[in-house]
Amino acid sequence: MEFTREIYWNVGHGFLTLGPMYLLAFAAIGVLVYGFMQRMKVYRQGQALNRTDQAGARVGDAVKSALLQTDVSRVKLPGLFHGLFFYGFFLLVIGTTLIFIQADFTDLLFGIKFLKGNFYKIFSITLDLAGLIAIVMLGALLVRRYVFKPEGLETKKDHGYMHALMFVILITGFIIEGARMAVTELGTPLAGWSPVGLIVAQGMSGMGEESLRLVHKLTWWFHFLLVIGFIVSIPYTQFRHIFTTSVNRFFADRGPLGKLTTLDLEDEEAESFGVASLTDYTWKDIFDADACTLCKRCQDRCPAWTTDKPLSPMKIVNQIGELAFNGSEDSLVDTLGKDALWACTTCRACQDICPASIEHVSKIIDVRRSLVLMEGEFPGEEVMTAMEHTEVNGNPLGFGYASRGEWAEELDVAVLAEDSEVDILYFVGCYGSFDKRNIKVAKSFVTLCKEAGVKVGILGKEEKCCGEPMRKMGNEYLYQTMAMENIETIKNYGITTVVTTCPHCFNTLKKDYQDLGLEIEVVPHAVYLEKLMNEGRLNIRSEELNCTYHDSCYLGRHNDIYEAPRKVISAAGGEIVEMEMSRDQAFCCSAGGGRILADENIGTRISVKRAKMAAATGAPELLSNCPFCLTMFEDGVKGAELEGQLVPRDIAEILAERVEPEKA
Amino acid sequence: MKILVCIKQVPDMESKFKVNSENTWYDSGDLAWRMNEYDEYAVEQAVQLKEQQGDADLTVLCIGPDRVKETMKKALAMGCDRGAHLQDDESHKREPLEIASIIAEYARDKEFDVVFTGMQSQDRGSGQVGVLLGEILDMSCVTTVIEFGFEAGEIKVKRELEGGVKAKVKTTTPAVLTCQLGLNTPRYPTLPNIMKAKKKELLSSPAADLLKVDSRQNTQTMYFPEKKGVGLVLEGEIADLTDELIKILKEKTGVLA
Repeated sequence: MEFTREIYWNVGHGFLTLGPMYLLAFAAIGVLVYGFMQRMKVYRQGQALNRTDQAGARVGDAVKSALLQTDVSRVKLPGLFHGLFFYGFFLLVIGTTLIFIQADFTDLLFGIKFLKGNFYKIFSITLDLAGLIAIVMLGALLVRRYVFKPEGLETKKDHGYMHALMFVILITGFIIEGARMAVTELGTPLAGWSPVGLIVAQGMSGMGEESLRLVHKLTWWFHFLLVIGFIVSIPYTQFRHIFTTSVNRFFADRGPLGKLTTLDLEDEEAESFGVASLTDYTWKDIFDADACTLCKRCQDRCPAWTTDKPLSPMKIVNQIGELAFNGSEDSLVDTLGKDALWACTTCRACQDICPASIEHVSKIIDVRRSLVLMEGEFPGEEVMTAMEHTEVNGNPLGFGYASRGEWAEELDVAVLAEDSEVDILYFVGCYGSFDKRNIKVAKSFVTLCKEAGVKVGILGKEEKCCGEPMRKMGNEYLYQTMAMENIETIKNYGITTVVTTCPHCFNTLKKDYQDLGLEIEVVPHAVYLEKLMNEGRLNIRSEELNCTYHDSCYLGRHNDIYEAPRKVISAAGGEIVEMEMSRDQAFCCSAGGGRILADENIGTRISVKRAKMAAATGAPELLSNCPFCLTMFEDGVKGAELEGQLVPRDIAEILAERVEPEKA
Repeated sequence: MKILVCIKQVPDMESKFKVNSENTWYDSGDLAWRMNEYDEYAVEQAVQLKEQQGDADLTVLCIGPDRVKETMKKALAMGCDRGAHLQDDESHKREPLEIASIIAEYARDKEFDVVFTGMQSQDRGSGQVGVLLGEILDMSCVTTVIEFGFEAGEIKVKRELEGGVKAKVKTTTPAVLTCQLGLNTPRYPTLPNIMKAKKKELLSSPAADLLKVDSRQNTQTMYFPEKKGVGLVLEGEIADLTDELIKILKEKTGVLA
């Protein structure tokens, strides 16, 4: 026998079937297009932004992310459910498309049928199993949402409708298949190629052909109408994510990772800076809300949200969406909430995990910019004081600028004003220069360089704060003031390589200063020390060390540097017991986003939470690579009452303890 | 309404001070400069009064070398309308009466209704300029103001006295008010106001032209107090600490004799 089946079996090929079918299908597509065009008007309330450069790479990434489900599958179980459901659904769509191509195109016009023979067998079993997988996975997703109810997962009417519709479409599909098979395929070798359909057919076989044909015909039309309903509802329900999330991958920020836009403060035409109302945002910021699927992965990882602060990155994105789509006149700042806006540590955990390519952090910083630059507002007086200290003395701690280089006075470190013939410029940063705890790190780093035969220079009192905390707090003006002074100084000395012990300085000098005209090699100390070790210039004794390692946000998620510090630690004999949240999932120390300048008055303390995570590994030492992290952990260890059990240290400190004199 | 606010530029108090070669004042090298803290309260209050009045004109005045203009720009960015820079490279040598008289000469024919200034400067701390200015111009002067109100031509202030005692005082314009910590929280200038401040009137004229009094004081010498004994913090194991403490007590005191 010929392995195939009659397309439109029982429902007929005539005008009475095809007429209404095509009419409805075109109407549905019309509604779909109309729905999205309406939404585009809403997106267009936002400011212009070019996100179509590198179009080829963008298309590639979007297709890859959608077809391979790379982003959504980063969270294991729900990712698996979604991924398999997607494949089931996707195969059914392809199958339906093949049927359409044969029935209404190749066969109709040229008499060519390709759904036959071995290809049909594969086609049949693939679609049959795809339907089964889709039903099972949909069931799993439904149980997760409605039975297990994961904390923070917001369930709306949309979700009930979407689950129900998908279920009924899939079930009716099998009933149609079963009824058809009960009449035409039962007992033929073809039936085995539709195992699920076969079971349904066997169940229905007692009904008699006439009833089966009636059931088949009615269910077919019902199924068809549901599909029309599905298409029509895409723009109006969260089904829209099928388009918006994949398209948002195309529009995604292509880096450098986490880099903010540099405001033109000299722009005489500009009447305002930052985002004060919805329409100050770009269209992408509004589109992001439409791409959000409320998966709450951002919220789960947000250091602010998980320590009872009012900031949820997911809510921020959706509040912006609601303002945009409701045409609301409500104040943007009041809607988002100042406490939420000030709570962000810019750790990028939200943005990194987001499967919908949403940019949470810049939305928050943009409003902070408006609050600071246009209103002179800060989260607290201590932040304003830190800003003023920075204006006067070039550091937020309030130390006299002239004493910035004093920590190095007894070390063999060149101050560039006196001797600029150096191998590297060590950009020490405010904490390395003034904070007692971090001066130890700076001294350790200098010791290591010396042992490796590297001549280190510092700017001393000419160095200013890199401006990062001020910038992240929204004070773009003060940041640019600091940056311009540093850039001029660094350029004057003709420096080619800068090494930092602070990832915030590193990130700022490397990425942010580019917009202001500084393009030089900037290396974080973890990477630099690893290089010295690899080159055999730095001999580190391996000595037992039981520790855990904290990935700072600005070396990790902002710069993808995860290996160098780990290699350095293990070369020193360190056995790292990883924390539950590490690498790209690392939990922030609380000090990013300028929060180092602010008191943490709401909820519980982030640093305490992180210290407890570190203590849970059982390791006695908590190694990190960032002065802000170190400062916070010294605090967190006290807050968690872990003194004596957990010692926070910088990687440079453990290396300096183990450095062997250079072999002659 | 015409308002005057008199400010001084002082070194940041975190700076490392050195006595100058003449032993009469601090050396100005390696210092970071800023607005005298009490004058910041004065500027803030003056701006608030101007905002309350609507049609007021607010002048900020500062005596000193050219670098003080940077500090004046902050006052302009906070909301002052115009700046009067009275150029004087030697201002640090002037006694309070000289400073007050320069300001008085500047203000004499300008009919200011209210004059704000800090209760003292962070570097010299004589606390006299506001009071002397009021006296020279025959204006009422209230010192150490921590609350300010203006209604129907009448000034109502709260003063802070020694030991936390407060006093409420009423006075009429024209008046000089010297401002104390707690009066207000000085605002952080917004970017548009910083930009506008760059274009505001900031006129320099020699302070010498306005100096009509002779100096009656001169600083003979300025010095850091001699270090008299220092605290000693012992660190280490308790057993060692005890031994060390006994040793010190034996060597340096007679309590164990």
